[in-house]
Amino acid sequence: MLNFKISSDEIDKIGNFTKEEKNFRLKNLEYFNDTGFPNKKNEDWKFSDLNAIVSKNFNKLDIQFGKSKKQKVDFIKDFEHNYIVIINGELTISDFRYEEKDKITLKSFINDNYSNRKENNPLINLNHALSDKGYFLEVKENYKFKKILVIYYLFTNDLDENILNTRNKIKIRKNSELHLLEYVVNDSKKIFFNNVHEDIVLENSAILKNIYLQNSKSSGYFHKYSINKLFTESNYTSFIFPAGLKFNKLDLEFNLEGERSECNLQSASFINNNEHQEIKTRVNHFSPNCRSHQNVKNVLNDESKGVYQGKIFVKDVAQKTDAYQLSKAILLSEKCEFDSKPELEIYADDVKCSHGSTSGNLDKDSIYYLMTRGLSQQESTKLLIDAFLNEVADSIKSNSIRNFIKTKLETQLQDGY
Amino acid sequence: MKNQNTNYNQEYKYGFTTDIENIKAPKGLSEKTIKFISEIKKEPKWMLDWRLKAFNRLKVSKEPDWQKPKFPKIDYQALYYYSAPKSMKDKPKSLDEVDPKLIETYNKLGIPLNEQKKLSGVAVDAVFDSVSVATTFKDELTKKGIIFCPISEAIQKHPDLVKKYLGSVIPISDHYFATLNSAVFTDGSFVYIPPNTRCPMELSTYFRINASETGQFERTLIIADKGSYVSYLEGCTAPMRDENQLHAANVELIALDDAEIKYSTVQNWYPGDKNGVGGIYNFVTKRGACRGKNSKISWTQVETGSAITWKYPSCILQGDNSIGEFYSIAITNNHQKADTGTKMIHLGKNTKSKIISKGISAGKADNTYRGLVDIGRNASNSRNYTQCDSLLMGNKCGAHTVPYIKNKNSSSTVEHEATTSKINEDQLFYCNQRGLNQEEAVSLIVNGFCKEVLQQLPMEFAVEAQKLVGISLEGSVG
Repeated sequence: MLNFKISSDEIDKIGNFTKEEKNFRLKNLEYFNDTGFPNKKNEDWKFSDLNAIVSKNFNKLDIQFGKSKKQKVDFIKDFEHNYIVIINGELTISDFRYEEKDKITLKSFINDNYSNRKENNPLINLNHALSDKGYFLEVKENYKFKKILVIYYLFTNDLDENILNTRNKIKIRKNSELHLLEYVVNDSKKIFFNNVHEDIVLENSAILKNIYLQNSKSSGYFHKYSINKLFTESNYTSFIFPAGLKFNKLDLEFNLEGERSECNLQSASFINNNEHQEIKTRVNHFSPNCRSHQNVKNVLNDESKGVYQGKIFVKDVAQKTDAYQLSKAILLSEKCEFDSKPELEIYADDVKCSHGSTSGNLDKDSIYYLMTRGLSQQESTKLLIDAFLNEVADSIKSNSIRNFIKTKLETQLQDGY
Repeated sequence: MKNQNTNYNQEYKYGFTTDIENIKAPKGLSEKTIKFISEIKKEPKWMLDWRLKAFNRLKVSKEPDWQKPKFPKIDYQALYYYSAPKSMKDKPKSLDEVDPKLIETYNKLGIPLNEQKKLSGVAVDAVFDSVSVATTFKDELTKKGIIFCPISEAIQKHPDLVKKYLGSVIPISDHYFATLNSAVFTDGSFVYIPPNTRCPMELSTYFRINASETGQFERTLIIADKGSYVSYLEGCTAPMRDENQLHAANVELIALDDAEIKYSTVQNWYPGDKNGVGGIYNFVTKRGACRGKNSKISWTQVETGSAITWKYPSCILQGDNSIGEFYSIAITNNHQKADTGTKMIHLGKNTKSKIISKGISAGKADNTYRGLVDIGRNASNSRNYTQCDSLLMGNKCGAHTVPYIKNKNSSSTVEHEATTSKINEDQLFYCNQRGLNQEEAVSLIVNGFCKEVLQQLPMEFAVEAQKLVGISLEGSVG
């Protein structure tokens, strides 16, 4: 049995802090040590018993690890792009060759928000206590990125039963626009835990388009908590292709603070082997005339488990809200499982809110039809899954990026099916 | 629009109490109280032991706290757990012997016992407070071998059946309120339909909470043996009182091979006044088990009353090809709170379930649908369809949907959809234009919104329920 208690000495090992910060870290560590990794008794972790998963797979979880060696980065050649490289959570190099440099700020992250709140999610407290890496990216007012920015997240072989606590913040000022591809490249053959805290702020009329993609299968255990603030008329579109990790939980919170702000979340994943993946969203409509749209698609095979927990909250003042939530899952094997909890909590009357959730196997008639046209059963199944998942990627506008994503998804599918 | 601020609020129609001297159990929850109840019911020892087992369990269990509507702490020691009309001590053999005051109460409620036989073909097992008063149509049912009697009578006369099935769907350790009921239940109905029998009439029971400070703990057990069919109606009204009254009933249904049970409820208990003072706490556990092959259980409920409604009529689909259905209308107005829904547990092969839930929220009320659909590993080719629609009137109320969907079987299909919206202005305008006033228009539109559920109700209830839908929402448009 793994001892989850983390000694307060670890905080001193990370660095020297002011008294205020140190107290903040100690307090949060205490909160985490009280609860440990969340188990299924915690409503938000009902379908993902992380405590059991960690106990089963890890013998230890070290905070310190050997200094990362210089890593050769395999840059994407399919399209021109700016890039940032993050190795094991640490910001290393960046290149904004297509942009005006004075419009962008990029630095290592320093936390300056010491809220002493006990979080319902102990992993957030853990991150507060131990975060020592990450980046801060800011796009100044009235600037539109000319090319996409790719953030390479590299994980090296130096990691072995380690836990990383990283913290990133992206701020997009008024009338600015950023297109982002978060690209995870995992070279580590060993298991490790990555605990990320992400903070995104979109000021008035800012636009952010984000694509999140895993390069290949790996044995990482990921948890990401992301809090996104959207102010008046801002627009956030996020495409998530999260598959390929042993355990992955994305806990995404969107606060629509300003009127007419809009958020759009699209996700497609093919999960197999014994992978466990959960997407949890909470969309808070705090202002009138906002729009939110979620579309989460999962295909499950082997002994995998997929979870979707989505919540739409509409405050009483948020009239004329348009909120939509859709979760679809295809179960291919006898031993896979899909659980969902699409939730609505609504206090305003003049709203249009709806959700749908389906899970089941592929339509037998469709397979039969394709087979009558000469395809084998396997080919027909693959074709249908392709079509099911590609719907999400198809809504990416840029041709070169869309094709790149589709090729990657294709390999994921090829490996898995 | 005209009429917008007119208040049509109709006072609670059934608010009156009948002054009958009561026998009360010692105040508070203790072994003594349980022994008192057991003794007064002339129960055999096994029944008392069963109650005490539940009581012991109760000592270590805690009230659940995950629900949406929060309620003030209940002082279980300040309640009376048994009260019976005194004149019931010598059981009346016929209607003439029934206390005239009771008859009066029923007449006000609109259950003319005397005419019941001729008019409706409904056998009424009327429960006033906790003891059954009169059971009609007994002969006709007896001829068919159907047992329809108070559960206290069944414990004495049919101990084998009771022993076999009581607590088999809701175990005594289930949750706090179910356990509480197991320990202190006073009366309720027992129905047994023998094999290959179709019950010739709708069985019905009217429950009524009367004595102040008396929680009611009803226990209903319905068993449909192989190839049988029964339709059971439960309807309630309660007198106006200021204290919050607790109602924690348990209803267990068991359907064996090829049997079908249809259970319909219209619940119109006192919801508290406009400011949210008083009203009934309705914490009911209802669960049905489709034990046999091709069995079917169908729940229909119209919930308009109670300060807090908290119940989840559920189906455990054990038998292959069994079917579970849940049709619900929950209307909350003023300060009412409802947290209701269902659980469909698919265990057998080719099992099917359907959930239609309509929630309407007005005033400062909160209405939550909470449900579970669980498809087990072995439940191949199972199917579920869920639809929950919510209607909001005004921006001080809330409507929530919390479905839990678990699918462990790749050959099964689960579909869930939910919408939340308000009454369409155009529809209202159209109705107004045709000469309906605002209230009539709302009533018409809401009835249309609920139609799918209303048409599941038996004839006897359908008319009443339609009126109730209208009445419950009066004064809420503006």
